[in-house]
Amino acid sequence: MNEAAQRIWHPIASSTDLPFRHTYHGQLLGREFAVWRADDGYVNVWENRCLHRGVRLSIGINDGTELKCQYHGWRYANRTAGCTYIPAHPADAPARTICNQTYPAIERYGLIWSAEAPVGELAYIEVLSGSAVFPLRGIAVNAPAKLVMQKLVTYQFQPSGQIKGQTATSQLLSSSDDSCHLAATDGAHSTTAVFFVQPVDAGRSVIRGVLAETPADDLKRPVLYHHNQLLTALREQVEQEFSTLPQPAPFAPVIAPPSAPTLPDIDFDSPSPRGRSAPLRVQVSKKWMTALDIAAFDLVSITGQLPTYQPGAHIDVHMPNGLIRQYSLTNGPGETDKYTIAVKREAASGGGSLCMHGQVREGDVLAISEPRNNFPLRRDAIQTVFVAGGIGITPLLAMSRTLHHSGLPQTLHYFTQSRDHIAFPEILGTMAATVQHHLNLSPEETAGQLRGILESYKPAMHLYVCGPGPMLEATRKIADDLGWPEPAVHFEYFKNTNEIDDSSQFEINLARSAMTLQVAAGKTILETLRENGIELPSSCEQGACGTCVVDILEGEPEHHDVFLSDGEKQSGKRLMTCVSRAKSNRLVLDI
Amino acid sequence: MIKLYDYELSGNCFKLRLLMAILGVKYEPVAVDFYPGLEHKSPWFLQLNPLGQLPVIDDDGYILRDAQAILIYLASKYDPSAKWYPTGSPNLLGEVCQWMAFADAITSTASAARLHDGLFYDFDIEACRTGAHRLFRILDEHLWFGEDQGNDWLCSGSHPTVADLACFPYVVLSEEGGISRQDYPAIRRWTDRVKRIPGFRVMPGIFPAGPGPKTT
Repeated sequence: MNEAAQRIWHPIASSTDLPFRHTYHGQLLGREFAVWRADDGYVNVWENRCLHRGVRLSIGINDGTELKCQYHGWRYANRTAGCTYIPAHPADAPARTICNQTYPAIERYGLIWSAEAPVGELAYIEVLSGSAVFPLRGIAVNAPAKLVMQKLVTYQFQPSGQIKGQTATSQLLSSSDDSCHLAATDGAHSTTAVFFVQPVDAGRSVIRGVLAETPADDLKRPVLYHHNQLLTALREQVEQEFSTLPQPAPFAPVIAPPSAPTLPDIDFDSPSPRGRSAPLRVQVSKKWMTALDIAAFDLVSITGQLPTYQPGAHIDVHMPNGLIRQYSLTNGPGETDKYTIAVKREAASGGGSLCMHGQVREGDVLAISEPRNNFPLRRDAIQTVFVAGGIGITPLLAMSRTLHHSGLPQTLHYFTQSRDHIAFPEILGTMAATVQHHLNLSPEETAGQLRGILESYKPAMHLYVCGPGPMLEATRKIADDLGWPEPAVHFEYFKNTNEIDDSSQFEINLARSAMTLQVAAGKTILETLRENGIELPSSCEQGACGTCVVDILEGEPEHHDVFLSDGEKQSGKRLMTCVSRAKSNRLVLDI
Repeated sequence: MIKLYDYELSGNCFKLRLLMAILGVKYEPVAVDFYPGLEHKSPWFLQLNPLGQLPVIDDDGYILRDAQAILIYLASKYDPSAKWYPTGSPNLLGEVCQWMAFADAITSTASAARLHDGLFYDFDIEACRTGAHRLFRILDEHLWFGEDQGNDWLCSGSHPTVADLACFPYVVLSEEGGISRQDYPAIRRWTDRVKRIPGFRVMPGIFPAGPGPKTT
């Protein structure tokens, strides 16, 4: 019914309607919007509906980086509208498919413009091409846009330079269904104005006027009052007229359900030999040495909006030399215009860090995976303790920045060799009160510090550790000794240094796919699945990241990973298909 | 200690709880079963307030009724800075009284619509809503031009007054009476500012605002 109108850009708000940390309630052709400006200036126009229970997001909290629903606290990220946190599931990373509908936004002439299904760009308006346009107060009218437009073309006003006069003549320069250009002339004074009519609903509109020139300072207020008074009078007339006409039914916009999660299609004809896809293309917009031996990279998308991430997430980077490596995102909340990663130069590198340090330059294009989060951050701890060793800072930096932004209690302990080894000092400096540096300590001294840090566990405290293997082991051991329960200790290894014996052979029974396969000696479960056309997401493929986890229904696994905690390993309920094997002759897997 | 004869869902009681929370005044709430018990029409309550209306306070034997009157009393007595009820400036004081009267008009329209929808009062709902929209248009225009001059509050000073607290509750609860505030963006911004006053508290139907601009 409104298809033609849905293709056209309309103003939906005034720029001044989006002050710092406010959420505006907009509407266009019956469709409601939650409109908010993030602290980085980005204007978000979203379906006005929380994906959880349908509550209006326009009553939500704009925290500058995310919009939080008032009802159950679901949080959605700047730009992507992807869900970043569900308070009822504090230990889980929300699925990437939980993403609200977004609409395009353009800010021009002091107005915010949007459209449901725009065709083409918002056209430039010649008379408003100067830099000194002057938006008037928007006037909401309880009448259809068409009726308002009919009255507006006869709108009579005084030019700004002759505001007190009464003898101006207004001339209609041009008009369309949704805007008209008028010029008022009184003697030597002349003012050009453009009026847009925003079709809010079948029987509601907003008049949004813009003068081509800003009046002199002392005239601004009289000019605003002048138009406000005249437009208010015009509104009275239109509403009076409309009240005598049959009242149209409100528009009924279709609110599409969020796109259903799609499971990877099983394509038996073309089994994927690699299985690790990298659908995103990013350009290195900035590369710099953030610390001694640590290069940082800003990656911006060249294939549309980057997907939503949560603190703790990592991406696979497919390098020019063919290697695939995992790097944690260090970004703070809502920093959805780029991904920032950091890479330490490893002397004993398999080639990944050398390639990133030596070959990859600003301007280069890289293929990356979508972010995955197997190291999710709880935001319900009474106190969160982060322990970072060296380059292990990367996921913890993203986490610490998130808690810092929300003012949640935390301490970030950062163990490095020297001041020169501190990565992202400029960011850490902005949250100095939460960061404690520990420099140049021997393993024994480190253990001593950790005992001090971890000595007073209380229920609902949480510990997150990332760093070199020996430090991670030591931290977990000390936490265990000092009474930290296993579910309160969260860790991420860079790599799996376990020696993996893959000489066993066993049968796997895929309960949901109704297949039985033989895993041969020297093959992993993951490889066996892929050779038989079963796609499974994977990332590090060495038992460190947790991406290829599956549930076990029957049988006894033999764990070789460093992702699961000891308790999880003992329970025998999950395994990593990239490294783990079977102690029993047969495993029944829930895939 | 002050006794507040109180009903949790009453916006007029809430504005007193709000001012006392902001000023750090301790009080003891006395729950009155307004609905469905109609306790505010019971003989014991009519002795306190023959009008049969909430709220009423008893400050060490001094009994006062009428939400706006009580705001003035509490601010005058417990705000030594005299900012909430600015007796030092005749112009400002005049504005405060003007908007306190406006708050009464909001009560008789927006609050009435809410009582109709929520508690089944027999009111002319269309008249209530039309009246509220008329007031909201006036309020939105006033606040918009105020913002344009750098004014955050209803009255012209740089500090909020009891007038803001008097008008706030039934404006922000208006949707419970079927009165949308979508067409009043300046009102919506002002409600954010009120919610960010240090000491602000909520009631059912009134949500908190997030952290706003840093104030000095």
